[in-house]
Amino acid sequence: MIVGELSPGEIRNRLDGPGLRIRIGPIVTEIRSSFPAIHSAIALHYAAHRAADDGEFADFHVSVLPPSGPRRWIRPTATFRFENAPPFQPLPAEQAFPLLEWGLNWCMATQCHQYLIIHAAVLERRGRALVMPAPPGSGKSTLCAALVARGWRLLSDELALIDVASGEVVPMPRPISLKNDSIDVVGRFWTDAAMSPVVHETLKGSVVHVRPPATSVALSTTTALPGWIVLPRYRAGEAARLAALSKGSTLMQLVESAFNYSMHGRRGFNVLADFIDASACFEFSYGGDLAEAVLTFETLAGAA
Amino acid sequence: MSEASPWRAVSPDAIAVREWDEELVVYNDCTGHTHHLAPFGGKVLLALLDNPAGLELPELIESVAATLQISEAEVLAPVVEEALEELARLDLIACDPA
Repeated sequence: MIVGELSPGEIRNRLDGPGLRIRIGPIVTEIRSSFPAIHSAIALHYAAHRAADDGEFADFHVSVLPPSGPRRWIRPTATFRFENAPPFQPLPAEQAFPLLEWGLNWCMATQCHQYLIIHAAVLERRGRALVMPAPPGSGKSTLCAALVARGWRLLSDELALIDVASGEVVPMPRPISLKNDSIDVVGRFWTDAAMSPVVHETLKGSVVHVRPPATSVALSTTTALPGWIVLPRYRAGEAARLAALSKGSTLMQLVESAFNYSMHGRRGFNVLADFIDASACFEFSYGGDLAEAVLTFETLAGAA
Repeated sequence: MSEASPWRAVSPDAIAVREWDEELVVYNDCTGHTHHLAPFGGKVLLALLDNPAGLELPELIESVAATLQISEAEVLAPVVEEALEELARLDLIACDPA
């Protein structure tokens, strides 16, 4: 059964009660929350994900709950808990769903050491992964959303999970997070994108999430081979430009962008180096023209 | 810098190497660090990795010159010494006391 087959009442009752178990890529996460905004956001963004059976093992148990006592009513906050412990400070209650998403990112990045985890968006075309590692502000998620809008399969907009045994990228399709100016930019480009309401004044500014396509979620167990590694950089007003990047420089960028590289030691180095060996490496600068950017990537994928 | 002191890779078995064109990236098990070496530094390190017992400075210069197909090896001395300092700073090589 997928989450979308549950009625809004069933979703609310599970989230507000024993927890709703959702399979997200290779991970089953049990989520609990009493926030109506999270109930509706789960119904929207995770509709195509499989609702795991109650008896199925849950890798993570997380919750986003209000405080007890008067703080429930006076400037209410939301607290994310992982295995009943809060790794972060509470945030304002209206940020409950972004907090859940950021918390899930934290869970994956700090717990899933069976993978080499890179801070990167990952998409797929013709069985090959396009990995875009980049710091905040580089336009990574904006490009990711634009490519998804034009049919690229979403593996993740935030975390590239590289299976250290196979060297392939494991999908974990979740909502795409957009911030500030990119919200309108993507909204104009992807006019039928399913977005949650804008949440203002977060630590990252204004934030929305975009529902991952059901077709991407349906292929959650289909891994992707190395294809392209592209370092995006947003530069206002510039024309799209794709330039080759040396493999050595690319490897150092991936090392910098990895959450758990040091934990894997020499094996991590070999996995990344093999991944780069099998990929074409580029840097890409663009000035916000998403049509031009998508055309560049379509040409790149078509030339492979 | 003493010419009688052999230079050697700190622990050749602990160093994993990837070479792409003129680029060398190495991982050092002993430190857990990854280094993207300048092309010439990469040649110097490879020469020492090929000779785990170590090389005296003149031998090392000859070895690098042979790799680069340079007949007048002595012109490389200043850049080899500069590369050795950098590789030692990265804890990839050491100079054994004579």
